Amino acid sequence: MARLRESLTVLVFLLPVLVLFALFRFLPMLGAVGLSVSDYRLDGEWRFVGAANYRSLAHDEIFLSSLRTTLGYVAVYVPLTVAVALGTAVLLHAVPWGRGLFRAALFAPYATSLVLSGVVWRWVLEPTGFLQHPSLVLPTLAVVGVWKGFGYAMLVLFAGIRNVPADCLEAAKVDGASAWQRLRHVLLPALRPAVFFVVVVETMAAFQVFDTVYVMTGGGPMRASYTLAYAVYDYGFRYFDVGGAAAIGVALWAIVLLVSLTQRRAFGRNP
Amino acid sequence: MRRGVWPAVLLTLSSLVAVGPFVVMLVVALSPGNAPTIPYRLPTSFTLDNLAEVLSTGSFLRWTANTVVYSVVSVVAVLLSSSMAAYVFARKRFGGREVLLWSMLSTTMVPFQALLMPSLVVIARLGWSDTYWGLIVPTLANAQAVLLLRQFIRALPDEVFDAARVDGAGDWRVYLSIVLPLCRPVLATLAVFVFLWHWNDFLWPLVIARSDSMRTLTVGLSTLESGNPAAGELMSAATIAGLPCLLVFVVLQRHLTKTISFTGLGG
Repeated sequence: MARLRESLTVLVFLLPVLVLFALFRFLPMLGAVGLSVSDYRLDGEWRFVGAANYRSLAHDEIFLSSLRTTLGYVAVYVPLTVAVALGTAVLLHAVPWGRGLFRAALFAPYATSLVLSGVVWRWVLEPTGFLQHPSLVLPTLAVVGVWKGFGYAMLVLFAGIRNVPADCLEAAKVDGASAWQRLRHVLLPALRPAVFFVVVVETMAAFQVFDTVYVMTGGGPMRASYTLAYAVYDYGFRYFDVGGAAAIGVALWAIVLLVSLTQRRAFGRNP
Repeated sequence: MRRGVWPAVLLTLSSLVAVGPFVVMLVVALSPGNAPTIPYRLPTSFTLDNLAEVLSTGSFLRWTANTVVYSVVSVVAVLLSSSMAAYVFARKRFGGREVLLWSMLSTTMVPFQALLMPSLVVIARLGWSDTYWGLIVPTLANAQAVLLLRQFIRALPDEVFDAARVDGAGDWRVYLSIVLPLCRPVLATLAVFVFLWHWNDFLWPLVIARSDSMRTLTVGLSTLESGNPAAGELMSAATIAGLPCLLVFVVLQRHLTKTISFTGLGG
């Protein structure tokens, strides 16, 4: 009797979260795969079509170019975020006064939305014409993304730097190591886990870039900023191709999984 | 004296870049409608006309109200549901506990775009299209909140729970009078993050809102822009949309930065 009561309590406490996750996480996870192998009509009718959606994606020039565009975005965004975050974190550590103020100022963009950043930056960039230029639009979007997001990575790295024992840095200094050598041979090896964490988190975020694309370029000009996440939206809500959109979503999911597993392995090795 | 001059100079420059766009936004929002503005010339006078104009539009007020409802209801519901689950995850043994935790953790690895179409099908089947239910309820499944709270509750001393048991307190008593009060600092931090996530959320509100009256501020802002309004009004709308977040940030930034440093929450 007591055991039954106990399990009943557990169930009651878990119930809200269980229902939420079952309906809006686990079911859609299965549904994503299900929709991607079906021909779903807006009237709710659906038909199993096997790998047809994936086969047509393999020849779909729009999808393939969105894949390249997304990789291009990741290739600019992730290194730039890590570089800016690491630079500002090291500077924050080195500065003898005003640290709290600088940190607050640098972190401020993180608190606002990507939509707001997009609206403001689009207006600021209007006279430059960068967003209308096919080869400049993607780097420009990446820089706006970095502006909005680097504060988070900076805080994580700054916390990492503070965990490096002060005597290590002091000893290196006494031994005559230059600032660059101290950074390269003392700080960076100690920061390895923090850098790894930041790289994984930011890579996942970069693959899913959507808000700034939607607000600033709508995928253009000439699909130069048409990313995978934007393709999911575009296929689903402009072409009403639910199966195609779901298949792109699953492809994005697979890519994100693959990349983070690869990164995990690469960073897991000893230096 | 010379030490630290270069870092300070560089940090000042990067801080200006970080804060600059907000200053531009504010200045343009406060500039009179037809005056040539930055980047060409600094405005010579300021006015609240643009802000008043935006605030007098019915749909903008509606979007603001929707955003407040979306954020506030979500904060309360996420904190309640995930603290309840976190309590039993941390303090009870039951079959399937680890499996459940792992599957919840695995949902954090799924890009939301992958779930976009199937979630909409679920919402349509529930008859929740274009409703507050459809907007709010799916976003309440928050694995990060459950996992963070579980970690915190697990680290609480066993003695507190044993003492309550000896006094004959049931699980509800323990949850209400021990778990919730002791978790107050984490709950406060989580509240801030969940608030910011929802206030700034875009993709889900965008796809769930069919009618103008269901839009949130981020969605409304993106539609304003395609209508090509005057810069002053656009920046006023942006200012109002961003103000609560910037205020929350200014008041709580010390607290927020500390949380990110310790837990990595918010990525």
